[in-house]
Amino acid sequence: MKKIFALNLLALVLTTLLFFGCNQTNNKTEEKVSDDTIAQVEQKSIDSLPATDSTDKKGVVEQKIDLPKVLVYNFHITNRCVSCIAIEKATTKTLNTYFSSELKQGRVKQFILNVDEDANAKIAEKYQAFGSGLYVTRVFKGKETTTDLTGDGFKFAKNKEEKFIEILKNRITEYLK
Amino acid sequence: MKKPVIITFLLLLSVGVFSQKSNDTIIANNAKNLRLKVFYFHITNRCNTCFSIEKYVRQTIDNNFANQLELGIVDLYIMNCELPDNRDMVKKYDAYGATLALTSFVNGKEDISEDLTGWAFKKVHDPDIFIAELKSKIEEFLK
Repeated sequence: MKKIFALNLLALVLTTLLFFGCNQTNNKTEEKVSDDTIAQVEQKSIDSLPATDSTDKKGVVEQKIDLPKVLVYNFHITNRCVSCIAIEKATTKTLNTYFSSELKQGRVKQFILNVDEDANAKIAEKYQAFGSGLYVTRVFKGKETTTDLTGDGFKFAKNKEEKFIEILKNRITEYLK
Repeated sequence: MKKPVIITFLLLLSVGVFSQKSNDTIIANNAKNLRLKVFYFHITNRCNTCFSIEKYVRQTIDNNFANQLELGIVDLYIMNCELPDNRDMVKKYDAYGATLALTSFVNGKEDISEDLTGWAFKKVHDPDIFIAELKSKIEEFLK
């Protein structure tokens, strides 16, 4: 009788151990699968970025996860003047001509906002944009750096567009580094 | 029949050109005393902001530097940058659109220039601050 009880107990212990052991293994496997999935997603999104140097793949991966982003804000009022329209037009031209891949990747974003609309009050207040304004902001590791290009916009966008484009292009290129 | 039409057209055209030109303001009273030129360039089709900048520039000078303006220590240039007659000035001061700039003079020669365009568009929505800060900047140039 005692022998039967001991055998049953042993079987129970072994079954329990086996069950928990299997469960642990399964958990580990799931985590591993998850890790792999994340890595694959990151790798995929990074693969879509153009290579910039000859660093090995892993090195590139680490570099590109932390790339700066550039936000370009064209603020305007409801009744727009020719200069204001010219600034937006030249800005869009600059981005489409020189930063089309960065636009697709989301590394460069353009926002055309009417400061007279309530929905834009907060962002207009942040940039102190009460009328027409052009601001370029670099976002990197939670830090923002902004250049106010409003003056250059009014000076050059209408009658010296190529100079305006050069100024804006250089600023964005610098900010993407 | 054609001649009167052409003459009328040319007359209207010349009136248009001269009336545009007459909008420019150039106050330069004595080149020997000159210490500072205040420039404000604008395009032909102006917006309210552009008009406001000119208004506050004029107010700053009229209310604080009228004497210097009269003596020729300060000169004021309000000019349309799109007029062919102003092409050389536009090129010299890189003023192809609305542009506010201060240029100091020493012994009749240009010394330091400061481009205040960006500043002007930022401050124009608060006239008191605009005028106070522009006054300080001009005073700094005249020291």
